[in-house]
Amino acid sequence: MIIHIDMDAFYASVEERERPELVGQPVVVGGSSESRSVVSAANYKAREFGIHSAMPMSRAVRLCPGLVRLPVRMDLYAAVSEQIQAVFGRYTPQIEPLALDEAFLDVRASEQLYGSAEVIARRIKDEILQELQLVASVGVAPNKFLAKLASDIDKPDGFVVIRADQVQAFLDPLPVSRLWGVGKAAHQVFERLGVRTIGEVRHLPPALMTDYFGKHGAQLLELAHGRDRRAVETERQAKSVSNETTFAVDIHEREILQSWLLQLTEQVGWRLRQAGLKGRTVHLKIRFADFRLITRSITLEHPSQTTDVLWQAVRTLLADCHLPQAVRLIGMGVSQLTDSETVQTTQGDLFAAADPKKEKIDAVADAINARFGKAMLHRASSDKHN
Amino acid sequence: MNIKLSRDHILKPLQTVSSVVERRQSSPILSNLLMTLKGEQMTLTGTDLEVEMIARLAVTADEDGEITLPARKFLDICKTLPDGAEISLSVSGDKVTLKSGRSRFTLSTLPATEFPNLEPVEEPFEFSIPQKSLKRLIEKTQFSMAQQDVRYYLNGLMLELQDGLLLAVATDGHRLAMSQTAAEIKVPERRQIIVPRKGVQELARLIEDSDSPVRIQIGKNHIRVELPDISFTSKLIDGKFPDYQQVIPPSTEKVIACDRATLHQAFTRTSVLSNEKYRGMRLSLDTNMVKATVHNPEQEEAEEELEVNYNGDQFEIGFNVSYLLDALSAIDSNDVHVYLTDANHSCLIQGVGQDNDKYVVMPMRL
Repeated sequence: MIIHIDMDAFYASVEERERPELVGQPVVVGGSSESRSVVSAANYKAREFGIHSAMPMSRAVRLCPGLVRLPVRMDLYAAVSEQIQAVFGRYTPQIEPLALDEAFLDVRASEQLYGSAEVIARRIKDEILQELQLVASVGVAPNKFLAKLASDIDKPDGFVVIRADQVQAFLDPLPVSRLWGVGKAAHQVFERLGVRTIGEVRHLPPALMTDYFGKHGAQLLELAHGRDRRAVETERQAKSVSNETTFAVDIHEREILQSWLLQLTEQVGWRLRQAGLKGRTVHLKIRFADFRLITRSITLEHPSQTTDVLWQAVRTLLADCHLPQAVRLIGMGVSQLTDSETVQTTQGDLFAAADPKKEKIDAVADAINARFGKAMLHRASSDKHN
Repeated sequence: MNIKLSRDHILKPLQTVSSVVERRQSSPILSNLLMTLKGEQMTLTGTDLEVEMIARLAVTADEDGEITLPARKFLDICKTLPDGAEISLSVSGDKVTLKSGRSRFTLSTLPATEFPNLEPVEEPFEFSIPQKSLKRLIEKTQFSMAQQDVRYYLNGLMLELQDGLLLAVATDGHRLAMSQTAAEIKVPERRQIIVPRKGVQELARLIEDSDSPVRIQIGKNHIRVELPDISFTSKLIDGKFPDYQQVIPPSTEKVIACDRATLHQAFTRTSVLSNEKYRGMRLSLDTNMVKATVHNPEQEEAEEELEVNYNGDQFEIGFNVSYLLDALSAIDSNDVHVYLTDANHSCLIQGVGQDNDKYVVMPMRL
C-alpha cells in the first residue's frame, strides 16, 4: 500500500505553532501589504474569509481587515519538513517528497514489521501531531493516484483508507476533474460527451478515449479504473528534482513570479543537499493562462547543489522569457543528477574564490535548521519581494 | 523602382550582411534585410537586434527608395546565378522581381518602416588600428570565450583601452587568453568593454590581414567598426569582467621549456584516448622530462615521454588536454615556456619572445 501525507495549511500552521497567541485568528504567510505581494499560504480561519494562496495581499486584507500577516520563513519550514521526514523514516526508507509539506511513502516492505499500512499511517499522523504539534491529512491506498485523492478528500485532518475492494465504489461518484491530468481543456471534452463522473469515464470505449485524448486517453482510462503503475521514487533514484506551484489566480507581475521562483529554488536546493545529489541541468517551467506550456533549460559547467548557483541559472532563464500573458504555474527543476561524492574529476575554476563561500552558506543554514529547527536564515531577496 | 547590378558585385556584401541574419527568427522582419537606394548607392542592412551589419555598393537605379526582402532567399538566388550574370531588380507594390538572363524570381517583401534600427552609438570614443593588429588580438584570444555561461559577462571578449595600448582578454573560468598590441589610443583612464560572442565572431570574419586601418567607435552600449564599404555594430554585454590580472600567475622557477610543435604533437596523440567528456591528462614532471598519460572509461591508456628543459621539483598535475592544445595552437613561436606552481594552481603558457600573449590554464583534479 502507498501512503500520501499532506500537511494542512503547512506554512501557516508552523507559524501558529511558533506563536500560540495566533491560534484562532486568520493568519496568512506572505509579504507586507505595502509592497506588491501575494499570499503564500493561508490558515483555515483565513480561508473562511475567501482568502487563498497566490491572492494579492492587498485583496486579502480587504476581505479580512483583522488579518495577521507574517513574512515567509522558508528555512524554518524546510527544517520542520525535515523533522516530518524523520518521522516517515522510522517506518520506511521509500519516501518520495513532492514538496516541503507533501510526500508519498511506499510501506509494502514495512507491513510485516509494523502492522498494516493503515496502522503505520495512523501512527505517523499521531506522531506528527504529538511531537511537532502539526496536523496532517493522510491517504492510504493501493497506488499513488488513489492515495493522493484519499488524503485530499477529507482535508483538513483527514484520514482516509481505500482498500483494493473499495476502489471502484470510491472513484465512480467523483467528478472527472479528480482524474490526474484533467485540466480545463480535457474537462470541456468530457462535458461535450456528457461525462461527469469517473464512473462514466470507466465505461467509455478505449477507442473513443484515444480518439479524443490521444495517448493520454488510455492513461485516463487506467486511472478511472483506479490503476496507476507509477512507483514511489526516492530522491536517490530520481532522475530530476523539481518543485512547482500552481497559482489560484494567474500572475502577471515578473517580480512576484521571481519571488515564487526563488522559494522553489531554495526548496529544490535543500532537497538536493539532503539527498546528497548535484544536478547539472537547470529547468524552468511556465504554464500560461491559456495552458500553453513553455520550458527552458540551461546546463551548468559543473553539477551543483548550491542554491545560489541554481538561482542565478534559473533567474537568467526567467529573465530571458517573453511573458505575453499571465502565468498559471511556475516550476523549476534540476536534472542530470550525480552523487555529490562521485564527481571525481574536477576542473579548477580561475574565479572560484567566491563559490566555496556560497556552499558554506547553504551548509551553515542547513546545519542550523537541522539542529534547532527554527532558524530564521533565508535569502534577503526572498524577503524583499514577498 | 528599377535597379541594375552585377551578380559578382553584390555577392560579397550580400554574404557579409546575411551572415548576421539568424536562420531561426522570432519575427519575420528579422529574417529580411533592408535594401536602401540613394543616388547610385545601395545599402544593405541585416540585424538580429544584437548585431547589425551594413554594406554599401554602387548600382544603377532610377529612383531612391527602401524595401526589405528575405535575406536567405535573395542570397541563395544570387549565389546560384552564373558568374558575371547581370541582375535587374524591380520593386512594385509588395513584391520584388529579380531577373537575370532567362531566370525570373518574385520575392515577397515587408515595409522598410518595420525594420528595426539599432540605437545610435552615443558619445563615441574613437580610434583607428591596423586591421591585422585587431585580427591578431581576436585570433589569439577568442577560443577561450565562454559559451552560454550563467556568468553572462564571460560569453564575450573583453577589450581594454589603455594609453597607447589595446588588450583583449577571454576566459571561460577554466582558462584565460590575453593578448595586447600597441595602438594609438589616448584615454584618461583604462576602459573595459565586453563584446558578445557573436559580435566577436562576425568581426573576426570581417577584418582582413592587412595594414589598412579600421575605425572603431565605442559608445556606452555599442561598439561600431567602420571599414570602407561596411559598418558593423554590436551591442555590448553590460557586466563587470573579472579581474584578469589577479589570475595570471607570475613567471615561476618551475618552468618547462621546449619546442612548441613537439609538445603539441605529443599532446594531440595522447588526447586520442582521453575521456571524451572530461579530457583529463596527467603530467608527471621530472628533471628534463615530462610524461603525459591519459585513461578513458574503456580502460585504454596512452603515454608519451618528452625530453624538455625542466629543473624544478618532481610532481604531478592534471589538465584538460583540450585547453593546453588550444593554447599551444594559438602560439606561433618555435619555443614555449610553461610556468607551473603546484598541482592546485594554474599554469602560464607563453611563446618565447611573445610577451604580449599570455595563456592561463587551471589544473584538473584527477
